[in-house]
Amino acid sequence: MNYIIDIVLIAVSAALINNFVLYYFVGICPFIGVSRKVDMAIGMGFAVTFVITIAAFLSWAITTFVLMPGAPLSSFIASFFVSKEMASQIDLTILSYIVYIFAIASSVQFVEMYVRKFFPDLYKSFGVFLPLITTNCAILFACLTIMSHIVGVDNPEDVWDLGRALSLAFFGGIGFTIAITIMAGIREELDTCDIPKSLQGVAITLIVAGIMAMGFMGFTGVDSGLKKALTKSSIVEQNKG
Amino acid sequence: MKKIKDFYLVQAWLILIVAIFFGAALASIQIVLGQKIEQNKVNEIKQRVPELVLSTTELEKLNAQGASLDVEFTTITVKKNNKAKSYNTYKAKNADGSTIGYVVKAGGQGYADKIELLFGLDKNAEKINAIYILDQKETPGLGNKIVTDKWQNQFKNKPTEALEVVKTGAKNTNEIDAITGATISSRSVCNIINSAIKDLKEPLKNR
Amino acid sequence: MTTQPTAQERFLQGIIPENPVYRQLLGLCPVLAVTNNMKAAMTMAGAVLFVLLCANVLVSLIRGLLKPHLRIVVFTLVIATFVTIVDKFLAAYMYNMSKALGPYIPLIIVNCIIISRCEICASKQNVFVAAADAIGISIGYAISLASIATVREILGTGMFFGFRVLPASVWQDWVIMVLPPGAFLTFGLLLGATNWFSAKKK
Repeated sequence: MNYIIDIVLIAVSAALINNFVLYYFVGICPFIGVSRKVDMAIGMGFAVTFVITIAAFLSWAITTFVLMPGAPLSSFIASFFVSKEMASQIDLTILSYIVYIFAIASSVQFVEMYVRKFFPDLYKSFGVFLPLITTNCAILFACLTIMSHIVGVDNPEDVWDLGRALSLAFFGGIGFTIAITIMAGIREELDTCDIPKSLQGVAITLIVAGIMAMGFMGFTGVDSGLKKALTKSSIVEQNKG
Repeated sequence: MKKIKDFYLVQAWLILIVAIFFGAALASIQIVLGQKIEQNKVNEIKQRVPELVLSTTELEKLNAQGASLDVEFTTITVKKNNKAKSYNTYKAKNADGSTIGYVVKAGGQGYADKIELLFGLDKNAEKINAIYILDQKETPGLGNKIVTDKWQNQFKNKPTEALEVVKTGAKNTNEIDAITGATISSRSVCNIINSAIKDLKEPLKNR
Repeated sequence: MTTQPTAQERFLQGIIPENPVYRQLLGLCPVLAVTNNMKAAMTMAGAVLFVLLCANVLVSLIRGLLKPHLRIVVFTLVIATFVTIVDKFLAAYMYNMSKALGPYIPLIIVNCIIISRCEICASKQNVFVAAADAIGISIGYAISLASIATVREILGTGMFFGFRVLPASVWQDWVIMVLPPGAFLTFGLLLGATNWFSAKKK
């Protein structure tokens, strides 16, 4: 039960409270560039959600099995060359940034080929955005956040497993989709407005984003309240059972 | 011959050479700086230990002498609801080996995000000496006042019982004044300390 | 084929006419994220300068060997390595700052400024031009970060570089300025102001 509460809290936090775009400012480029039309914005949002989930799975697996100090795979390979004790201390985290960026780039390539071959309709709707996603900070940001919850955590209880990592990434992507879709809706309406000439385009988009960020600040504290409510109900259930 | 030329590895020779070169560069960086980075992480907490276990006058005396305390690091694992939970604790000792007090690292949910803090206990784990906030993302101007000395000084010499946050002037020894407009942040800090003390009071006494 | 700009032109262009933030709208993620105080913003600018300079020089040195379809891979590898180096240096010598900047230092890897400079300038021109270009662009970037950080830090905390400039007795901090919405609003309004000025000049 505690585990499910944890997953829900991570999801709510990633999608609404600490929204990737409006709180951490990652993925600003597509947020401004591809938010002219609602259907394009939704396509971009789903493409990001799709890739971010795959990248999170890859980075979680790579970090847990290869990169972190004493990871099973790297210490197994190293044990052929050096003593067992030294092999169990091997720490490859210095390579993490390079590995993540290449994992993202290659997974984007594979996803693009796969979708083009097997889902041509889907490819038409969001395939064009896929190559752009490689340089989307949101994906790398999700990988880095997952890494910070695996490497250098004091309490072995708090080390993230695959479920938590995927929850963060998937709902982070959903949060991005929500933000970019709202923005596209507002921008479609802005087209008919009389905006001062120097503010037209990106400037007014940023100001609207600022007001949206203020709105999203209203979600702060929802997670601690939700945690309290969920823990209480689970205690009641346990007492009944 | 043409086949070899088209082979991927031959085409990518530059990438392979660059990769080997960079691998060596990063390895040397790791060898040179790795130790120092680890040291920084440890020092961040260790340098806080004296001010967390000593009173102000004792701290001034220590600084005047230019001496430092012996700090011993241990991880204490306790069973809680059939689950293991471990705490990082730091035991401060005099030069003669007698215990001065303990510093405990604890963390938990705050209003906005996780709060991580240190708190110092006396040698019998009966009184809190001081607290220090390591990491917090509470609302600036309201919740982040938990880092101010004015608020933290309330914790001085509090008994290690369940602390309670009150909005209207603390009267009892186990009461803490809430920060105006940030009751949840204040309560979170107290809850983190309370649950850590509940888990650790016995293990620390028995050591 | 058009003639390539000289080193001096590249340097001067990077600062104002081709300013990476206000004109090209590139690398916006750190522009918004680390500008709530001046110290963090300047550290970020320094990190970008180091990575851009090293990447530009190295790419320019090996430009003759680059295969067209593999060049992006080489760029990414070069940038990711230098970012790792900068990250470790900060963690070793400026530990508190590296903790405050957090994930935004590694996110330099996906910062479009650097890869676009490698592509536009360094992979075509010699080392001196590439270095001049890197320094010019970095100064432009630092100026943009500084402009936003100045507004946000002074209005948000009444301080500048950590020193108090607006006395606490008269100044009520605009907390919103150091929070995320303040970043969007400040940058949006400053961008509007630059557009207005440049339109007026013409």
